[in-house]
Amino acid sequence: MNSSATTKTTAVLVALIIVVAVVAGVGGYFAGQSAGYDAGYKAGYDKGVMAGGAKAYEKGKSEGYKAGYETGYKEGLKAGKPKGPTLPDKIKIGSLMCLSGFLGPMGQKIKLGVELAVKEINRKGGIAGRPVELIVEDTATDPKTALEAFKKLVEVDGCKVVIGPMASPEVMAIGKYANERKVVVISPTATSPKITTEFPDDYIFRTVGSDALQGKALADTALKKGFTKIATLVLNNPYGIGIEEKAKEVLGDKIVLSIRYDPTKMDFRTELSQIKDAGVEAVIYVGWYEDGQVMFRQALEMGLDNIQWIAAEGVYGEPMFKVADAAEFMKRAVIGTRPIAPTGLITYKLFAESFKKEYGKAPTMYQDTAYDATMLAALAIAYAGQYDGAKIKDALQYVSQYYIGATGHKMFDKNGDQLTQFYEIWKVEKVDGKYKFVGIGRWP
Amino acid sequence: MLFLVVVNWLQVLFNSAVTGSLYLLAAVGLTLTYGLTRFPNFAHAEFMALGAYAGYTIAEQLKLGFPYSFIAAFISSAALGAASYLLVFRPLTHRGATIIHLMVASIGLDFFVRHLIKQVWGGEQLSFRMVWPYFDVGPVRITGLWVALILSAIVMVGVMHIVLTRTRLGKAIRASANNPDLAMASGVDVEKIALVVWIVGAALAGVGGLFRAADTRLVPLIGWEILLPAFAVVILGGIGSFYGALIAAYVIGLAENFGVVFLVMFKLSTDYKFAIAFLILILTLILKPSGFGRLFGEGGKVV
Repeated sequence: MNSSATTKTTAVLVALIIVVAVVAGVGGYFAGQSAGYDAGYKAGYDKGVMAGGAKAYEKGKSEGYKAGYETGYKEGLKAGKPKGPTLPDKIKIGSLMCLSGFLGPMGQKIKLGVELAVKEINRKGGIAGRPVELIVEDTATDPKTALEAFKKLVEVDGCKVVIGPMASPEVMAIGKYANERKVVVISPTATSPKITTEFPDDYIFRTVGSDALQGKALADTALKKGFTKIATLVLNNPYGIGIEEKAKEVLGDKIVLSIRYDPTKMDFRTELSQIKDAGVEAVIYVGWYEDGQVMFRQALEMGLDNIQWIAAEGVYGEPMFKVADAAEFMKRAVIGTRPIAPTGLITYKLFAESFKKEYGKAPTMYQDTAYDATMLAALAIAYAGQYDGAKIKDALQYVSQYYIGATGHKMFDKNGDQLTQFYEIWKVEKVDGKYKFVGIGRWP
Repeated sequence: MLFLVVVNWLQVLFNSAVTGSLYLLAAVGLTLTYGLTRFPNFAHAEFMALGAYAGYTIAEQLKLGFPYSFIAAFISSAALGAASYLLVFRPLTHRGATIIHLMVASIGLDFFVRHLIKQVWGGEQLSFRMVWPYFDVGPVRITGLWVALILSAIVMVGVMHIVLTRTRLGKAIRASANNPDLAMASGVDVEKIALVVWIVGAALAGVGGLFRAADTRLVPLIGWEILLPAFAVVILGGIGSFYGALIAAYVIGLAENFGVVFLVMFKLSTDYKFAIAFLILILTLILKPSGFGRLFGEGGKVV
């Protein structure tokens, strides 16, 4: 290794160590104290900088991170305990999840990510010594129910921070009320660009990228495959329409047919006939599980498995395979995109380990963003030092600059959206008689 | 700007027949019981749901195949229809219940049965795993399920037609619906006739529910999903009119499916296909308030 390379490596190392140390410092914010920052910085620096070579570098980075994080956390909590007299004895975090309805099977899983974060926080002594109490309400994947449940969390339980709701129409439904009552809302899954345009610069945050990006990812995937005659088939709600509009911006007149459908109807034969008759090469599809299963089953029956379907993340997940026809159709004709954390993140590994220890299985889509949303909420409350919506909102913007979570750096822009988001391109394979999702590429 | 789309009209026509057949099976019992016992029975939704779930148990949990689940749906819903009439609605009528009482009771019964179903089968979504054969007839794509659905509707219509026009039972049903007092005076056991109609209507609804479930999926609300179009069929066809319902079901099926084609052309969401069906309903009520039923009779209600 020549000297310039060594210098370069060292420079990269130092840069990384600073990031690691800053993350460790975030542990300190749990108590609103900087004691952890010093400890974490020192531990990380020692472990990392003293090591040499790629392997040792990785090891040092990993160990340094862990040590720094743990030390920072402990020190921070110790120092912070006497502080924060304005925080209540029990800190409530509300959560709105689709535990039933169209996204029910997904919501049941995503809830685990939120619960894991709360367990970890409480295991480490809570926020400045105060335990976190999680209150989960079911939205039934319905905007009206979501608003009712949100009002219950705000008015009855007095929550100032709510994780969720999951679906974009639900976020749209509660947004105005959240702003009026100054309640911080962090959705781990709502992706519609309409949330940005409707509620800029306010109490609505999300730990997943806007579909302004996924729309492009889907369109680029279609372009890359050389399709010139494309149809869009989307849910008639902010989620579907958001992606449809973004895809149109990219694809222009390559889109020859656009259909917005009602997910409750479940009789999609004539919609599918239209696509068949239009003679398109590809379909950009946005749906949810329940309607997606029926759509794919009927698409198989209509013989639409000979064109390429490119689907958004709403139909990514094992529950899709409960319907044999739908699973078979996905194997034959569907690829898609889904938000994903940057590759090889140590923070993701730590999250995955903790998840596996708790639930005995590997985490799946959106459990990581839910975990990050909850962690960010706790950090923001700690940094604010009081249970006050406006203060927590400002703190959230601030701590997000330093938080590297399971899904990477979670910095919010001024609209409360993620600055970056990566996507995986997936397809479905059948291995040993079992269907499964396989990654085949990344975007960008 | 319009989308200039190529449309396979034959396919749309066939799709309409599928939709219409489902609505017909769902609505026949509703219109006949409405005509005979004089109240809209909201628990009819659960006759569909129970048939679907009973069929699911036979086909998927006991793995006996679809023909058996067809029979199971028929019998279980028939039993529920009989029980509903004998245990809830007949006693209420004897105590002088009005249409409002009976209607509210039917909503209560609906909730009771739905949550019972939820207890037995769970609230989670279930699906038939069987794969139906599909084939092309000319330009039209057809599956075994859709053919079975249309055939069931045709057979049902044929049998009902013969029963209503050629048998004593049919005459008694028509007489009871037309003028219960006169029918009773003529020696017709109106309550017995009503029981038969409730059983048959519920059984057909159960079959309709089973087809809906096999075509889509099972959720406890499966009956409610098609109760609204079923009521539209009842009103469009004229309350109590079998032949009116027959026409109305296919009119609404056509309206919905052709509606989709035009909505897509005009770049509107296909959500509005319901709106088209209801527009037809409203227009019919304005122009012909008694629905299509009157087309078959001379003033009086004709079942």
